[in-house]
Amino acid sequence: MTTQWRYREFLDRLGIGVIIAIAVFSLALLVLPSVVVVMISFDTRAFISFPPQGFTLRWYQEVFNHPVLVGAMWTSFKVGVVVTLACIAFGVPTALACARGELRGRTALSIYVIAPHMVPGIVLGVAVLFTGALVGIGPSIWLQAVTLSVFVLAVMVRTVTSRLQRLDPALEQAAANLGATPFQAFRTITLPLLMPAILAGSVFTFVEGFDNLSVTIFTHGFRDRPLPIELLAIVQQTSSPMVAALSGVQILLAILAMITLSLSVGLDGVND
Amino acid sequence: MTPTALHGPFIDRLLSGRGIWPAVPAIIVLAIVAVIPFMVLLSLGFSDVVSSRGVIISQEFSLRHLKAALSDSLYWTTFRRSIGLAVTTTLLCMLLGFPVAYLYLIGGKWTRRIILVLTIAPILTSGIVRTYAWIVILGGRGVINTTLMQLGLIDQPVRIINTHWAVLIGMVQIHLPIMILPLIAVMTRHDTRLDEASANLGATRLGTLRHVILPLATPGLGTGAALVFTLSYTTFVVPQLLGGGNYLNAATMVFEQVVYALEWNKGAVTAVILMATCLIGLIGIAALTNLATRWTRAGRS
Amino acid sequence: MPGSASVTTGGDSASPIVFIREIIKRYGANTVLDRCSLAAHEGEILTLLGPSGCGKTTLLRCIAGFIQPDGGAISIDGADMAQMPVNRRPVGVVFQSYALFPHLTVAGNVGYGLRMRGVAKSDIAQRVKAALASVSLSGLDDRYPAQLSGGQQQRVAIARVVVLQPRVLLLDEPFNALDAKLRGSMQVELRHLIKQLGLTALFVTHDQEEAMTLSDRIAVMRAGRIEQLDRPDAIYDRPTTAYVADFIGASNTWYSRVDGGLVRLPDGQTVSTTHSGDVKVMVRPHNLVLHRASSERAGSWSGKLVFRRHVGAMMEYEVQLPDGQAIRAVGLHGDQPVEPSPSESVTLAVRNPAACMVFPAA
Repeated sequence: MTTQWRYREFLDRLGIGVIIAIAVFSLALLVLPSVVVVMISFDTRAFISFPPQGFTLRWYQEVFNHPVLVGAMWTSFKVGVVVTLACIAFGVPTALACARGELRGRTALSIYVIAPHMVPGIVLGVAVLFTGALVGIGPSIWLQAVTLSVFVLAVMVRTVTSRLQRLDPALEQAAANLGATPFQAFRTITLPLLMPAILAGSVFTFVEGFDNLSVTIFTHGFRDRPLPIELLAIVQQTSSPMVAALSGVQILLAILAMITLSLSVGLDGVND
Repeated sequence: MTPTALHGPFIDRLLSGRGIWPAVPAIIVLAIVAVIPFMVLLSLGFSDVVSSRGVIISQEFSLRHLKAALSDSLYWTTFRRSIGLAVTTTLLCMLLGFPVAYLYLIGGKWTRRIILVLTIAPILTSGIVRTYAWIVILGGRGVINTTLMQLGLIDQPVRIINTHWAVLIGMVQIHLPIMILPLIAVMTRHDTRLDEASANLGATRLGTLRHVILPLATPGLGTGAALVFTLSYTTFVVPQLLGGGNYLNAATMVFEQVVYALEWNKGAVTAVILMATCLIGLIGIAALTNLATRWTRAGRS
Repeated sequence: MPGSASVTTGGDSASPIVFIREIIKRYGANTVLDRCSLAAHEGEILTLLGPSGCGKTTLLRCIAGFIQPDGGAISIDGADMAQMPVNRRPVGVVFQSYALFPHLTVAGNVGYGLRMRGVAKSDIAQRVKAALASVSLSGLDDRYPAQLSGGQQQRVAIARVVVLQPRVLLLDEPFNALDAKLRGSMQVELRHLIKQLGLTALFVTHDQEEAMTLSDRIAVMRAGRIEQLDRPDAIYDRPTTAYVADFIGASNTWYSRVDGGLVRLPDGQTVSTTHSGDVKVMVRPHNLVLHRASSERAGSWSGKLVFRRHVGAMMEYEVQLPDGQAIRAVGLHGDQPVEPSPSESVTLAVRNPAACMVFPAA
């Protein structure tokens, strides 16, 4: 009996050990490539080699002295901002309808809003490119921004809807009972309480506007080429550590985005 | 603070109603930028258009482009490759992702925080940047080759990049966070008293994992699998950068047909096939998730 | 019973401040309020009491305007409420969850209604201060709701509506969010507060003790209608229907037949009644007296003691009759010369036959 228990215990520990080992491996797999890139971005040599030698900020200087890259970053930044503003303007009212509309209407509505996000990005990109061409609208920064907004609207709607659904409906009733009109109640009570969710949604919509490739590649303007397009071209052409520095900049932006998230809804709130 | 004309009774009625019409602007925009384009895509793929100088002269329903695509062996190899790659990626992500979710479940505050950071940070980082990291690691003069040469294990750099394996490694690493996130959502809601009850009833930790945690996490696995499948099936960053110039998957094929060859009808058909197969894949995953949920819940050891 | 102390307010002569006539509310096939009528008088605390689903909260929400009734009329202070939007009704609601605005301070919460009415800033500060003082919360102005105890939150919720000087206070189960220990003292305190402020209050609860403690009058509700509306002691002592008798307090029930205007009780005594035919007889446990079968005071109505316990100064007994029915009796501790022990044979007798309640059966 005891030996059998010991054997079971041993198997159990082994199994759990293997599972935890895989988990640690996965986590390492997630972080190590970025660590390597950041290390290489400080390498003094002009070619990629490991382990890196020395320390220099030269490659970062090169990134910010590269007129094409700086222009592309500026373009992508603008797209990110436009996408975010559009998603707030269209997404927050839509979330209100999704959370409070009559049951049948709101189910259909959420499917309708989520669908463009479920369609593969390149399919949406190609479809918009074709349609634009039919009516004489060529690829441009605006076409890119509008298509991306439609693509990621679902993210904003979902984040804000789930926050709305967890808000006590008595809060708005209390505001009304205290004399607020529906608009006043929305502005003074509901909107402030939605801000964390709107902020979290904005982080994701901005990142999508800034980084998206699948939709962008078919819709971007040829004169103001956004960062992912330039980045794709550069990565294919050169392996200079400058690309690593460019990656370092992007990783820094991701960290900033994550700090914003953890301050707004908390990292474990991202999933809602 | 009296209501002004701008937000007078109209906006008040809008906000207090239970109709869906605050969503009307979004509905219209989505119709113009998603619904109509999708119909245009279908019509381009399934019609014969005679046009002169951009003016459509005649257009009629036709399966010509679809037939041409289906009789082209390149289509078959490309789609077979894409689907195979997506399925393998999905399975590997499940295998690597579930243990992370388990660690999240049993871990303390800091373990959980670290897992969240390591999972969310990549999602906020550009896919190109993350793929570039693999060029640095797997390249001819990359981390692996230089290390192996320095150790004297090889004389010449081994070719890793521009192979199917490089694509697979990149695919799995890029999509792993997308698998972990929905699993963590399940684990956050998981009631650990169930695990305690299970242990108290004599189950080992593996037994609890198998009979309590896994059945409850299966829907999360399904959600993650659906997301990873869609994204890995339709991505072209990783194949483009890690597969070399001639590694063609369905997404790169659409891109080449539309942007380089300017064969729009062909591109439209490919895009429609891509979407249709993706949908079939998603339905398959949903069915499998259902089955797996029933199987894990009914199962005895 | 604190509730019976000051029932003189709200006599029938005063004109009603809240007048509800034949209110109907349906959800699909489900009728939640079924031609429900009610009048509340100036300065009284009126409780809507009933089990969940009886329509009491729906009625309260109709008065506040959160729900539009399907029929009937509500008037407050003589003004018809049918077309009156929620934000202009002269009622103050204290929500079950309190619904304090989590992103506003205590002062922000209490001043909210004044800001919505466009009151001058300096006035707001002054009136908020006064309102907080009236609920003894001075000095907590800058706290956020999450930093307050349950009792303090409740008082902020009251101050928030009282500052607007509503004609009627509507309270929806305001003690639900408090833990059991706090409730008792908070109930007495709330009653004093409402009386001190001279307010009329409509109060919804499913807890009869709460209703007894707080109310001047109680409306017992059942299936969307008011079953009985009276002072707490009258509701307890003279319920008009078997439903009320059953719902309020504990009672023992058995069925009997009226014979010549009299109902014969199991112990041989009789009660007179105006009913005829089959009747339901109900007796409160404290109206039963218990003797050991071996004692000289033993009667003819006998059974077996199965259980007894102390409840404070009281003794509670459960007696099983030969037919299996369980009877509950309550007596003062020390009343019995020798306490009967469980499984001992005992006899039961009705102390005051006139206090037995007789209702038509079925």
